[in-house]
Amino acid sequence: MPPVLATINGVVLKVAVAPGDRVAPGDELVVVESMKMEIPVVAEATGRVEAVLCAEGETVREGEPLLLIGGA
Amino acid sequence: MTTRDDGIGHALDDLAARRARARLGGGAERVAAEHRAGRLTARERIERLVDPGSFVELGLLAHSDRPEAREKSWSDGLVTGFAKVGGRAVAVEATDRTVFAGTEGHVFIRKAVALHALAVKRGLPVFNLAEGGGLRMPDGMGADGISKALMRPETLQGLREAPRLTAILGSSFGLPTWQAVTSDFVVQLAGTGMAVAGPRMLEVATGERVSEEELGGAKLHAETTGQVDVVADTEEQCIAHLQAVFAYLPANARAAPPAVAAADPPDRPVDELTAIVPTQKNRGYDMKRVVRVVFDAGSFYELKAEFGRALVTGLARLAGRPVGVIANNPLRNGGAAGPDECDKAIDFTCLCDAYSIPIVYLHDIPGFAVSSQAERRRMPTRIMTWAQANAAVTVPRASVILRKSIGMAYGNMMGALQGADLLVAWPTAEINFTGPEVGVNVVYHREIRAAADPAAARRALLGRWEQDSSPYRAAGEFLIDDVIDPRETRRILCAWLDAAYANGPVASARRLANWPMGF
Repeated sequence: MPPVLATINGVVLKVAVAPGDRVAPGDELVVVESMKMEIPVVAEATGRVEAVLCAEGETVREGEPLLLIGGA
Repeated sequence: MTTRDDGIGHALDDLAARRARARLGGGAERVAAEHRAGRLTARERIERLVDPGSFVELGLLAHSDRPEAREKSWSDGLVTGFAKVGGRAVAVEATDRTVFAGTEGHVFIRKAVALHALAVKRGLPVFNLAEGGGLRMPDGMGADGISKALMRPETLQGLREAPRLTAILGSSFGLPTWQAVTSDFVVQLAGTGMAVAGPRMLEVATGERVSEEELGGAKLHAETTGQVDVVADTEEQCIAHLQAVFAYLPANARAAPPAVAAADPPDRPVDELTAIVPTQKNRGYDMKRVVRVVFDAGSFYELKAEFGRALVTGLARLAGRPVGVIANNPLRNGGAAGPDECDKAIDFTCLCDAYSIPIVYLHDIPGFAVSSQAERRRMPTRIMTWAQANAAVTVPRASVILRKSIGMAYGNMMGALQGADLLVAWPTAEINFTGPEVGVNVVYHREIRAAADPAAARRALLGRWEQDSSPYRAAGEFLIDDVIDPRETRRILCAWLDAAYANGPVASARRLANWPMGF
């Protein structure tokens, strides 16, 4: 599966999953704070978190990979 | 049955045979091949689109002007005529892939030009069941061939005089693509490709090897280019979308958008709203849920759902009358509008302006997306192009501020002094030049940095600024019309539209009707 990307420049407020976690569509993965809004990044498919590429408090840019998710 | 020995009988038999042969287009074998591939023929598509028995074909007996191609080019790859859809008169064209893969020969082009001219002259909407490989080879080759086959300027005139609704039902390069991107509405069949030129042309011209899906697939257009409004999985569903969107549109620019008998009471309180919109103002929610409960039940028809998702556009009804909806969606990027959202809003504003469709704006926007990426995509030009469209639009507009409406985005969403008939806010509205947190940081950055406890200093300053963002300040100076109970939103919008229509449907000045169809 392609990496999960940031859709906006902002600061990672929360990483809600860890490597090995199973995720289903709609599950919250990461919350990015931008423009004073909490913007949840959610899973689009079922899978398992392979790697977390961001950390809480870190600044991310639009298009930057946040997580790697593999097939379930 | 009359006898066939009186002269006219032979003539009738001959006519019937010729017509039957012509209806097979490129021949029975090619028709069978289309059916085996699970595809409908051009005339079968038209039958599914139009009211039963209403289609009158023009040019059935036409064929390629190359004599050797006559027997395999009946109707020359384009089926045209007039018909009715939902009881209203329309013009229809459908590409026939059994004739030279639906490519455009000289007669094909003559038929397409004639149908467009008829539609413009009589104010008929055009339904275009499109596919095809572009200009026919060798007909279009050579300095003479291409000179005769260039797209005629008259076919790009009279756009937005009557709706042009296109379904992309197969591989489309050249003319079907040009027609789609100059249509008021486009639905693309999943699995098809729509592009300037096909993969085989690219391979030779530039060496790029790319699949049709990657080049111009439905997902690409739905999410990235915004050049199609809706994607559907079957030909029947594509045709159903054409019928569905037409139900909101007038037959032409001189007609009023069609109202229907309304079952949903205009004064229905919308109690669900308080549960949909979170009290924590930094949390997102799905604005589409708000739209679905405010407008007539089941009436919301979304356009470009997957493109520029922080802004929602679509057609809906209030007490049976069609309206356009432009709404921020805090579920996506907090509702912050970027370049795609601007293009989407402009495109939709032009549609509503051309067809006299009143517009309702629902605000929840923390501002335009400010980023170096957005600047590289000409964000200032896009914001101002949208503002120019708003400055020109004359259809009745109503504006409701649910929560945030910040800065220039407040203006573009039809905020104070922008010409809306009605501008109201919910008590949860937060109206400002910038979010108070940002404002405090910009103005008091020295004091905050110098304070013994910078966080406490920022909080203290913030308390004062948040007060300033409340809608009562704007209501107090009559810069907005009222602060309303959210549950009354539907009743107030229905009353506004009733008042707007007090003397009949309001004809738009249509200043945006001549903007390029790219918008």
